[in-house]
Amino acid sequence: MADFLLTRPPPEVIGLLLGVCVVGVMATLNQQLGALGGYSAVYERVSGRTAVLGWKAWFLAGILLGALAFRLLAGGNTVGGGYGWLTREFTGDSRWLVGALLVAGGAMIGYGAKTAGGCTAANGICGTSLGSAASFVATGTFLAVAIGVSFLIDAVIA
Amino acid sequence: MTRLIAIGFGMVFGFAISWGQFTNPDRLREMLLLEDPYLYLMMATAVTIGFVGVRVLRRLQVRALLTGTPIAWSTTRPERRHVVGAAIFGIGWAVTDSCPAPIAGQLAQGVLWSLFTIAGVMLGIALFFRRREAHEGVPRAGRERHTAGFAESAR
Repeated sequence: MADFLLTRPPPEVIGLLLGVCVVGVMATLNQQLGALGGYSAVYERVSGRTAVLGWKAWFLAGILLGALAFRLLAGGNTVGGGYGWLTREFTGDSRWLVGALLVAGGAMIGYGAKTAGGCTAANGICGTSLGSAASFVATGTFLAVAIGVSFLIDAVIA
Repeated sequence: MTRLIAIGFGMVFGFAISWGQFTNPDRLREMLLLEDPYLYLMMATAVTIGFVGVRVLRRLQVRALLTGTPIAWSTTRPERRHVVGAAIFGIGWAVTDSCPAPIAGQLAQGVLWSLFTIAGVMLGIALFFRRREAHEGVPRAGRERHTAGFAESAR
């Protein structure tokens, strides 16, 4: 079981599961799924902007539980040691930069996705499935920028 | 019941992104450096399934199981904010090699670095609301009603 789960399945398998989530949420709740909306729902409730916790907060809780179930069944995580290029690049006295960059990057994710009306799940998978022109534009933009910035980072740290 | 359904589909989502190793920053980086087509093939499959599935539901005039409402949705025309916001999001994605769902997956898998990213995401969301409310001159007392009327804020 562990070996099976710690090996990536074909991408079509994961795509099928995520596509089923898009259709399933529409078929049951008549809603569009999104992950950032979960964080936003928590913030809106905690800050008193809404009286009830939005359903996407529960969807986010499900993501946490699903990943936890995976971790328990697989017997190991799929993340590896450290945190990618950040912990390889910033060591010793500059280690604090890892946390600072993750906070800064996270803030750009939160602010940018709220401004664009969705994240990878909401715009990149759900919005495009629904044929939203805005989601296609947002998805093309964030993919192009993320690819460009990744190449830039790669060139700088090489 | 809404909560259970949301948690159930969230669990499938969280399990799937963990199995596909989207929680691993190095895997994401390989995809963004175009060394691995996995992300793009996954997205293409998911969108194809979603695109066909929701249209079949609408064509068959299916009503949502829980709400009883006819399956329907509205789409948005591209605006400047979609480009600007997505560009900012893309920079954050490249720096952290992660995005909202995988960040949650990282935390569940015991990667404590994700706490910094989550703190940043919440900070960004707070900044978004503060800027929007300052721009629109929404008083504190009127925020709840104002937010409820902003359909996309829940995305």
